[in-house]
Amino acid sequence: MQDALLNFCKWLENTPWALFIGRSLWAYPVVQTIHFTGLSLWVGTIVLIDLRFLGLGGRRQPAGPFAQQLVPWTWTGLGIAVVGGTLLFAASASAFFRNPAFQIKFLLLVVGIAYHVVVQRKAPKWGVSEAVPLVAKLATFTELALWICVITAAVEIPNH
Amino acid sequence: MNFFQWLEHSYVINTISNSKWMYPAVEVTHFFSLFLLVGTIAVIDLRLLGVAGRRQSVTELAEQLFPWTWIGLGLCVLSGFFMFAASATGFVANTQFLIKMVVTVVAVASGVLVQRSTRKWDRPSGTPMLAKLTAIVSLALWIGVILMAAEIANYSEL
Repeated sequence: MQDALLNFCKWLENTPWALFIGRSLWAYPVVQTIHFTGLSLWVGTIVLIDLRFLGLGGRRQPAGPFAQQLVPWTWTGLGIAVVGGTLLFAASASAFFRNPAFQIKFLLLVVGIAYHVVVQRKAPKWGVSEAVPLVAKLATFTELALWICVITAAVEIPNH
Repeated sequence: MNFFQWLEHSYVINTISNSKWMYPAVEVTHFFSLFLLVGTIAVIDLRLLGVAGRRQSVTELAEQLFPWTWIGLGLCVLSGFFMFAASATGFVANTQFLIKMVVTVVAVASGVLVQRSTRKWDRPSGTPMLAKLTAIVSLALWIGVILMAAEIANYSEL
């Protein structure tokens, strides 16, 4: 399994487009920009929703409808971030694959996405009024912490 | 010794750059607050363009999100200053960094303009053309900031 994945990574980083991204002076920064722009929407909207459930921020709307309104942008952001991230990964696939910080980041990322699906499904029920249940506060607090961990693992990638 | 050399070698900055956890913590703060800053601005801009969150009026959404924009900006500038200070001489000599700073100032100004104009632009019939243009310029400016930040590494050893 490990070998098969590593072979896949080697094939991926030698595809013409992956080589192009790695070697071009402008393509790599452009792809990084795509990744970060997507992340701004994805992480930005998730943080807004979590903070709203934690009772911080504007109270013009209950947390439920507020969260529902941001749903399309959260997922658009993830889509953009994944496109950018996949291209960045492809440019040096086997190095990323062997990098322990990247492995942790990837694992946390999968957990984080699944976690957000749960939060999103519960949000309308949790956020009907200002009386947000304790479980919602715990869940959103955990979500904030989880994404800070994902960013931390990402920042650590070049150090390993 | 000029100011930037002094800054780079000052006690506080040395402690941060030589610490195993402090510099990464500063970077995490920078990215996290950047996402909050750009994320909230992007949602407001998309609302001005009429594509996001139409359940709420522009004014309501802006009033709910702008406090987070400025909190994000504050944290971003603070953490960014520490990142800058850790290699101050390298950053001031980097053209991409200087362009990034200029674009950031213009982008922040466009954010202030949007915040001050939301009431005026908030019409039941939809936002005026000027609001939509400002929103597109604002989005482009923030993408420009990120692009220049990504370009910094291309032209130096930072």
